[in-house]
Amino acid sequence: MKRFFSAMLSAALLLSLLAGCGGGKDNASSGGSTDGGSSADGGSGGYKSDLIIGTAADINNLNLQEQQDAVNNIILKTTHENLVRFTNEGTCVPCLATEWEYLDDTHIQFKLVENAHFSTGEPLTAEDIKFTYDMAKDSYVSSVLSNVLSTEVVDDYTVVLELEKYDNELLPSLASVPVAIQSKAAYESGMEEPWHVGSGRYKFDDWVEGQFCRVVKVDDYWGEDPGVADSIEFRPYLEASSRVIALQNGEIDVCIDPPINELQYLEEDENITVEEKTGSRLFYFAFNVEKAPWDNQTLRQAVACAIDRDAVLQAAVYGKGTPQTTILNRGLWGFYDDMEGFDYDVERAKKLLADAGYANGLSTTLLIANSAPYTNIAQVVQANLKEIGIDVEIQTVEDATLKTMCKNGEQELYLWRWNEDSKVDFVYRDLYYTGSGSNYHHYSDPHVDELVDIVNTEKDEEKRMQAGVELQEYLVDACPQVPLYIANLVIAYNKNLTGTMLFPGGNHDWSHAYIAQ
Amino acid sequence: MIRYIIKRLLLMIPAILATSLIIFVAMNMTGGDPVDSLAPENATEEQIEEIREELGLNDPLLVRYIKYMGGMLHGDLGVSYVTKKDVFATFAERLPATLKLACSSVFVATLVALPLGIYTAIHQNTWKDTGGMIFALFGVSMPNFWLGLMLILFFSLGLGWFPSGGYGGLRNLILPAVTVGLGFAALITRTTRSAMLDVVRQDYMTTARAKGVPEKKVIFGHGLKNALIPIITVIGMQLSNALTGSVLAETVFSWPGVGRLIVDSISKRDTPMVTGSIIMCCILVCIVNVAVDLIYAFFDPRIKAQYAKKG
Amino acid sequence: MAVKNKSEETIQSRSLAQETWRRLLKNKGAVFGMCFLVLLVIVALLSGFLYDYDTQIIQMNMSEALQPPSAAHWFGTDSLGRDIFARVLYGARYSLLIGVGSVTIGLIVGVTLGAIAGFYGGVVDQVIMRCVDVFYSIPNIMIAVVVVSLLGTSTINLLIALCFTCATSFCRIARAAVMTIRDQEYVESAYAMGLPTWKIILKHIIPNCLSPIIVQVTLLIGTTIIAASSLSFLGIGVPSPAPEWGAMLSDGRQHMRDAAYLCVIPGLAIMMTVLALNLLGDGLRDALDPKMKK
Repeated sequence: MKRFFSAMLSAALLLSLLAGCGGGKDNASSGGSTDGGSSADGGSGGYKSDLIIGTAADINNLNLQEQQDAVNNIILKTTHENLVRFTNEGTCVPCLATEWEYLDDTHIQFKLVENAHFSTGEPLTAEDIKFTYDMAKDSYVSSVLSNVLSTEVVDDYTVVLELEKYDNELLPSLASVPVAIQSKAAYESGMEEPWHVGSGRYKFDDWVEGQFCRVVKVDDYWGEDPGVADSIEFRPYLEASSRVIALQNGEIDVCIDPPINELQYLEEDENITVEEKTGSRLFYFAFNVEKAPWDNQTLRQAVACAIDRDAVLQAAVYGKGTPQTTILNRGLWGFYDDMEGFDYDVERAKKLLADAGYANGLSTTLLIANSAPYTNIAQVVQANLKEIGIDVEIQTVEDATLKTMCKNGEQELYLWRWNEDSKVDFVYRDLYYTGSGSNYHHYSDPHVDELVDIVNTEKDEEKRMQAGVELQEYLVDACPQVPLYIANLVIAYNKNLTGTMLFPGGNHDWSHAYIAQ
Repeated sequence: MIRYIIKRLLLMIPAILATSLIIFVAMNMTGGDPVDSLAPENATEEQIEEIREELGLNDPLLVRYIKYMGGMLHGDLGVSYVTKKDVFATFAERLPATLKLACSSVFVATLVALPLGIYTAIHQNTWKDTGGMIFALFGVSMPNFWLGLMLILFFSLGLGWFPSGGYGGLRNLILPAVTVGLGFAALITRTTRSAMLDVVRQDYMTTARAKGVPEKKVIFGHGLKNALIPIITVIGMQLSNALTGSVLAETVFSWPGVGRLIVDSISKRDTPMVTGSIIMCCILVCIVNVAVDLIYAFFDPRIKAQYAKKG
Repeated sequence: MAVKNKSEETIQSRSLAQETWRRLLKNKGAVFGMCFLVLLVIVALLSGFLYDYDTQIIQMNMSEALQPPSAAHWFGTDSLGRDIFARVLYGARYSLLIGVGSVTIGLIVGVTLGAIAGFYGGVVDQVIMRCVDVFYSIPNIMIAVVVVSLLGTSTINLLIALCFTCATSFCRIARAAVMTIRDQEYVESAYAMGLPTWKIILKHIIPNCLSPIIVQVTLLIGTTIIAASSLSFLGIGVPSPAPEWGAMLSDGRQHMRDAAYLCVIPGLAIMMTVLALNLLGDGLRDALDPKMKK
C-alpha cells in the first residue's frame, strides 16, 4: 500500500516537474509576454516588446515558393520584401525597386535601391532578383510568373524582365508573397532552410510546428520606418471561441477571423477594437456546365433566380457582407455590379424553369466542403430550390476531395469561393478560361477567352474597361455560377494596437504594428 | 524477462507492416488528390505533373509502399508533402506535448477515480453508490469538446484562472488535462469498484475483520492491494488511449499534440505524415503495454515468477 | 430424452433471467437508466408521427432565427430559425440509430470472428487476433476519419466508420469467452454426439458468453454516440440538415456565448442518454456477475 502511494506521489512530482520545466522554458523564450507586457526600455515611446497574433489556421510551410496560404503569407510579409509593394488602396508603389519603365512591349527594366541588405548582412543585388525569379519559374508557384520569360541582370542594381506579352498586371504579380526576394548567398552558403533569409523589417527566429512562429526585429533594417515591436509571434488558435477568449484575456493581441456571432462581446469589451471593412472573398454557387442538365443556360438562370442571396448572407455570416451580382471580386479593377442579373424572384424562376423544359422539376446533388459557411449556405440553397421543384441532395466532403472532384468534373452543383484582391486576371482567366485548372465550371467559350485576353493585355484604358464590363455582363448572363456574397473582413485587436495594414484578402502586413503603452 | 520483452517488441514488426499497408492503401483510396491541395488552384497540367513526379506519386501504390518501408528500415519515415519537413522530426517535436497531456490526464483520472471506486464499492447498492457512479460517469457521458469549451467559458473567461489555450506550463496544462482526464475517469472508477467488490467477498477480508483489524486498514491494506492488478491494467490502457485519442481536446485548447497532427494531415492527404505518425503511435502504444505488463510483475510476485520461468 | 433436457434448460435459464432481473432492480442507477432509455425509444418512435421532417425539422425560417426559449419554442430556435425542441426529439432517432446500428454491425462481425478464433485456435486464431491488434492500435478516430473520407459523409457511412472499434472489442470478448468454454464437458459431449461445429458454436458456446457481451453492448452504444458527435466536431459527422445531436451540438458551439441553449440542450440530450446507457450497463454487469450470487 505504501508502495502504491509513494508511486503515485512520485508520479505527481515527476509531472509537476515536467510541467514546470516546460513553463520555465516558455517564459524565458517569449520574453515579457506572460507578465502583461512590460515596456521595453530604451525604446522611443512606450510599446509592448512583443506582438502576439492569434491565427485561425496552423502555419504549415514557410518556404515562400512552396506555399500559398494566408496564414504563412502574413509571416513572410514581415520577413521578406518584393520589388514593388501593393498598398491597400490597390496601387503598386516602390519597395526594393525605386523605379521601372517599359523598354518596349515585352521588356521592363527595374532600378533597385542600392542600400538594401538581407538580415544576414549581405547586400541585395540584381543577382538575387534573377536567382529568386529563376527559382520561382521552376516551383509550385510558377504560374505567378508565367508571363515572365527570363530575367537579365544589367548591372548590380538594374534588372530587365523579358515578357511573353505585354501584361497589365505584371506589377501586382511581382508584389505577391511567393516571389518575394530571397538571398542567393544564403542558398549558396549551404545553410539549412535558406528561404528564411529576407530583407524585411523582421527576421525569422523560431517556428515550432503547431505552437508558434516568431520573428524578431532587424536592428539595422536598410529602409526608413523600421519595425517597432521587438518580436512578433504568430500562434494558431484553431477553435474560434477560444481565440476570442484568448484576446479578451490578453493572451493574444490580435484575433484573426473572430466568429461573427461573438463580435458583440468584443465590441462591449473596452480594451478591444473590432475593425470591419469590405472584404474580397467571394462565395459562389456554381454549375458543372459540361454535365447535363446544367449545360442548359436557361435552367441555370432559373436556379439563379430561385436563390435568395439575402437569406444566404444572413445564414452564412449574419449579414456581415455584401450580396453580389457580378462574378468579379469587389474592389478589383473594373468591378461592375450594375447589370440586371438574376435577383431573387420565384415567379421568374418558375417561368425560366418551364422555358428550360423542366416544369416538373428535377433532382440533383450539391457538392460542398464540410466547413462553415458552406454547410449553412447549402441548407438555404436547398430550401430555396425546393420552392421551384428542384430536389437537392447535399453531398458533404472534405476540401481536398471537393477540389479533386471538381477538377475531374464529377460534380453537378457545388459551392466554393474565390479570393483575390489584386489581379483581375486571376479571376477571369483562372475561373473561366478554357482549360484552366481551377475552372471548376468546366466553362468554355471562345468569346470569353478573347475578352479575358483583351482585359489582360490591352493598353488602352477605355477599351480595356469596356471589355471588362462586357465580360462581366456576358458571364453573369451565361451563368456558369451564381455569385452569392462578398464576406466582410472582420478582425479584432487590442485597442492600443497601432500601425495595422489590413488587406481585404487577408494577407495583412504586420511589420509596422505594435501595442502602444 | 528480457527475452519476454524482446519477443513482445519483435511481435510489433508484422503489426507495423500491416498497419502501414492499411493506412497507405486507405490514404490512396480516399477521395482527394494530395497534389490538388498542394498546388495553387490555378496550377497548370504540367506543373501538377511535375509535383506528382517530385513526390513520387506516379509510381504504382505497391512500389511507393515498398519504397516507404525501405526508407523506414533506415529509420527514415519520409518527408511531409505539405511542410516538406522530416516526418520523424515533426513527430518528435509534437511528442512532448502529447506525453505531457496523456500523463497528466491519466493522473487526473486516477486521482478522481480511485477514491470514487473504493467509495462506491464500500457502499454498494446504496444511493451513495449510484451518486458516486453518476459523478464518475459525467466525463465519459459528455462529448469531450463540449466539456472543454464549457471549462474554457467558466474557468478562463469567467474566472480568469487559466489561459484559454496554447502550449506552455502548468497553467496551460490544467484545463486540457481535466477535460481528457474526466473522460477516462469512468472506466477506472468502474474497474476499481468491481475489483474492490471482488476482493471484499474474499475470505481473507472476513478473516482480517474477524481478527479485529480496523476497517480502514482492511480496505486499504488488504483490499486495495489485492485489487490493484486490474486497476493498473486499465490505467495503462487509458494511457495508451490518451496518446492518440485526445485530438478533440488538442483542437479546443490549441494543444500541439500528435492527434491533431494526424487529423490535420489526413485532411491534407499528407500520406507520409499520416503513416509515419500512426506507426510511431503504434510503437508507443506497444511500449506502454509492455510497461504495463512489467508493472504487473512488480505488483504481483506470481506473475513475476511466470516471466522468470519463461525467460 | 432430448425434449426433457430442453425443457429443463428453459426452466433453468428462465429462473436465471428472473434472478438477474431481480438483482438489476436493486440497482437504482440501472433502474433510472432503463426508464430513461425506454422513454427515449418511445420518443424516437413517436417523433416520426408528431413532426414532419421536411416542414418542421429541416425547414428554415430566417425571421425566427436564434429565438430564446419561449412558449412557442420551448427550447428556442437555432441560427436558421428551426425549433430546437422538435429537432432534439427527432434527433433521438439518429443518435439511437447510429449507436445501435454500428454496435450491431460490430457485434455480428466481432463475435463471429472472435468465436472462430477462440474455437479453432492455432493459425486461424493468430491471423484473426493479429488483425484485431492492428485495428486496435490504430486510433479509432483515425479509422473513422479515413473511412468517412473514403466513403463520403452519410449516416450509413458513419455507422460503418464507427463499427470497427466495436468489432475489435467484441472479438476479444468472444474469443476469451469461447476459449474458456471450449473445453467444458458439455461442449466435448456435444462433439462426441457428432453435432456440426457451427451448431456447437451457435447453440452451446455463444449463449454461454452472453453476459459480458450484453454489458459491452450497452456501454458501446454510449461510446458510439459520443464518437459520432466527435466526428461532427471534426466536420465529418452526419451531414446537415439532419438533426443528429452531435451535429446540433457542434453547430451550436459557435453560439456558446450568445445562445447557450443551442449547445446546452443537445449536449444534455447526449449526456443523459450516454449516462443512462452506462448506468444500465454497470447495473447489468453487477447483476450478471455469477460471483454476486449469495
